Amino acid sequence: MLSAMLRRSAPPLTVFIVLVTAVLAGCERRGGCTGANCGTLINAAIGEPATLLPPSSEDIVASDVGEQLFLKLADVGMSENTLGDEDFQALLAQKWEWDGPLTLVFHLDPRARWQDGHPVTAADVEFTFNAYTDSAVASPYRPKLRRIASVTQRDSLTAVFRFRERYPEMFYDAVYHMRILPAHLLRPVPRDQWRTAPFGRQPVGDGPYRFVRWQPAQSIELVADSTFFLGRPGIRRLIWRFTPNLQVAVQQVIADQADVREQLVTPENVNRAREAKHLAVYTYGGSVYTFLSFNQRSPDDSTKPHPIFADREVRRALAMAVDRASLVKSALGELAKVPPGPMSALLWIWDPDIRQLPYDTAQAARILNAHGWRDHDGDGVRDKNGQPLAFHILVPTTSVLRKQYALLLQEQFRAIGVHAEIDAVEGAIVSQRTKSGTFDTAILSRSNDPSPSSGIAQSWTRAGFGGSNFGRYYNPEFERLVDRAVTATTRERARPLWRAAIETLNADAPGVFLYALDNLAAVHKRVDNVQFRPDSWAALLRTWRIPPDRLIDRDRVER
Amino acid sequence: MGAAWLLRRLVASIAIIFAVVTFVFILIHVAPGRPCPENLDPAVCNELNRQFGLDRSIPEQYWRYLVALAHGNLGYSFADGRPVRAVIAGTIPFTFQLAGAALLLDFLLGLGLGISQAVRVNRLPDVVLGNVTLFIYSLPTFWLALLLLLVFGEKLRWFPVGGASDPVLCSVVNSLYCVGDRLWHTVLPAFTLGLVGAAGTARFQRAAMLEVATQDYVRTARAKGVPERRVVLRHQLRNALLSFITRFGLAFPFLLTGAVLIEWIFAWPGMGRLAFNAILSRDYPLVTATALIASTVVVAGNLLADILLGIADPRLRVRADTDLVPTA
Repeated sequence: MLSAMLRRSAPPLTVFIVLVTAVLAGCERRGGCTGANCGTLINAAIGEPATLLPPSSEDIVASDVGEQLFLKLADVGMSENTLGDEDFQALLAQKWEWDGPLTLVFHLDPRARWQDGHPVTAADVEFTFNAYTDSAVASPYRPKLRRIASVTQRDSLTAVFRFRERYPEMFYDAVYHMRILPAHLLRPVPRDQWRTAPFGRQPVGDGPYRFVRWQPAQSIELVADSTFFLGRPGIRRLIWRFTPNLQVAVQQVIADQADVREQLVTPENVNRAREAKHLAVYTYGGSVYTFLSFNQRSPDDSTKPHPIFADREVRRALAMAVDRASLVKSALGELAKVPPGPMSALLWIWDPDIRQLPYDTAQAARILNAHGWRDHDGDGVRDKNGQPLAFHILVPTTSVLRKQYALLLQEQFRAIGVHAEIDAVEGAIVSQRTKSGTFDTAILSRSNDPSPSSGIAQSWTRAGFGGSNFGRYYNPEFERLVDRAVTATTRERARPLWRAAIETLNADAPGVFLYALDNLAAVHKRVDNVQFRPDSWAALLRTWRIPPDRLIDRDRVER
Repeated sequence: MGAAWLLRRLVASIAIIFAVVTFVFILIHVAPGRPCPENLDPAVCNELNRQFGLDRSIPEQYWRYLVALAHGNLGYSFADGRPVRAVIAGTIPFTFQLAGAALLLDFLLGLGLGISQAVRVNRLPDVVLGNVTLFIYSLPTFWLALLLLLVFGEKLRWFPVGGASDPVLCSVVNSLYCVGDRLWHTVLPAFTLGLVGAAGTARFQRAAMLEVATQDYVRTARAKGVPERRVVLRHQLRNALLSFITRFGLAFPFLLTGAVLIEWIFAWPGMGRLAFNAILSRDYPLVTATALIASTVVVAGNLLADILLGIADPRLRVRADTDLVPTA
């Protein structure tokens, strides 16, 4: 009976399928763009920003899109040198000069325009600084601007920065953290409402691309500004396509439904991307390192020392019990390196010859024995005064890699008679517990900007107490060396100081520095002139291009 | 099933929704974790907490929430930076699109298979279909989704890998092609949800049809010489529809709010994915609002199922009416 019913419905069903197919095949609009500045580049992005207003977001995608919409006065070059000003590339500022030791004067490019036609002026620069440093805006970049006393306008195209003190990265601080904002559009918006301001969802910038549309939970689209004063961008249209997970993002690139995935993260993804004939895989320095942080304060009462990790020798023993090289090899293959300290491969102070604690389980066991941590009751776990050598490793459930590492660490600690329990919890809980100090150990990741000064000071000195020095590590000798390194005027002078500082820290073992990822990106082979700047993969997107003879259907589409 | 019955159900429904919202509001606020990313400076976090009113006590926040809710204001999403109403409104068309397609597949296929099995009970087609539906029903939905994505999206490239539309041509539906494109993007997620649902529906429907098949009125109809097709459709199916309607009432809200994994895997911009992200980022206003909508849909689904049951089975109508008569 059912088959009879199906037989009767078959003709209409067939007609429907034919119609849908005809619609899909026949109604597609064929584009007409065939020149040198055509092209559509789809980035398979993970996550979606809340706003595109630069001071209100530290989100990675917002930053990538912001690179195309809002210019800085100048930017770091491929050398990533943050000392002095000689390696910086001019953007909004045509030129600059020092007017005394604490005053920096920028001359804006008179050709620069906001995309609504208004000229970019020094008033915009002054407004931007005031906004970034206003507590009501709650900008994550505010602490990084603390050494700039004021920004004023001398005339419509001249902005004057005055600093509180003299130091080698004055120029870097002046230009790197702020994207200049349109004062005429943002002045009327109350500062404590910037995070929810409509401007953040429909921004007007001065960069190489104009904002077109934002489809929530789907995509952001930009189109090249053909009148951009620093030269027309090579690719006409940029689309960030949002996916909630890495695997789908990688699949989209492999299935030729997206053109770029800037981080492949796992060896498996890299192999799959390499097998896809239409993809090229690029390597560039990563900006993230991951470590096991030892909390030196009691999780129950932060005024008291931690019963295990306050002891430097125990920390050293635990660090020596971890075979970091083997862990990297087994979990990440060629995609990561063992960091020589708290740094990513992005930092110029990276030096594999920096002295680190060796992998030496025999020595680790000797240290623990010498300090009274022995297996008195024969249960396989060392103990002292009735307290077992046992602790928890806090790890976010969202990170497969960190969870995998937690298991590997648990096993390595077990081998020397140390019991580690894994607490895999949501990211929000990891964040709350690390900030409040209610943890024993945690596997954390830190992202570096190109300067070692701010990141290392924030995470590993007393300045980071209550901030991101969650383990509350403190060594006055380390701080003294960091202070000297930060004030060194050249890389040659700074390098040995940084080295000495990192070696001091390594000897104290405030954590185990596990891996620093190299970034591997998959890009469609039709894209030419692909360049990645390690601190921001999208910084040079405007120079990428697609030659006319390599255009595919989606490149030619006209709206 | 008169107006009084409906009024009583509506009042009970509002009370249930209010209780759910209160429960979720308290639960999410006392749950560990705060809406502040790991690497954000604590001073910045404190300022944001002040701006979003999170520095006030929970009872005060709750009172302010209720007052705002009474004015139709669901608040601002912390993570999205837009009014919650706008955020949710953006997901509803996609949620209905996916849920509608999945429900259609679930019930058309499930009903057809269930009937087909019941009329051939214990014969080869019934045995084969029974095992096939059991196999499909046993599949973890997320696994099936990943498999379909890999085979039909990545390898064969017949269907899009995630998303709800072609971002190049159809970020806005402005042509017939884009209507087709939207449908094309719906196929894999709807098929994943609908297929597993249909396997369950088929098994329910088969059992219901077989239960009814032994009833006196079915035997009488056959004895009177009523044609088999009429017996099946008029006598057996209509009475077996009661379990189907109940299942529909439960499945509808589940598909609307419970397709979290499928929306996650297929990057579908629906309400399940939104709610999941909101929970992870501790976006309190959005979590509470999605709970409000989910509970409303569940209550409405059940109410709808009860009404449909009353229409399908007059005996239930009588029972419901007499229920309202006060007993001495």
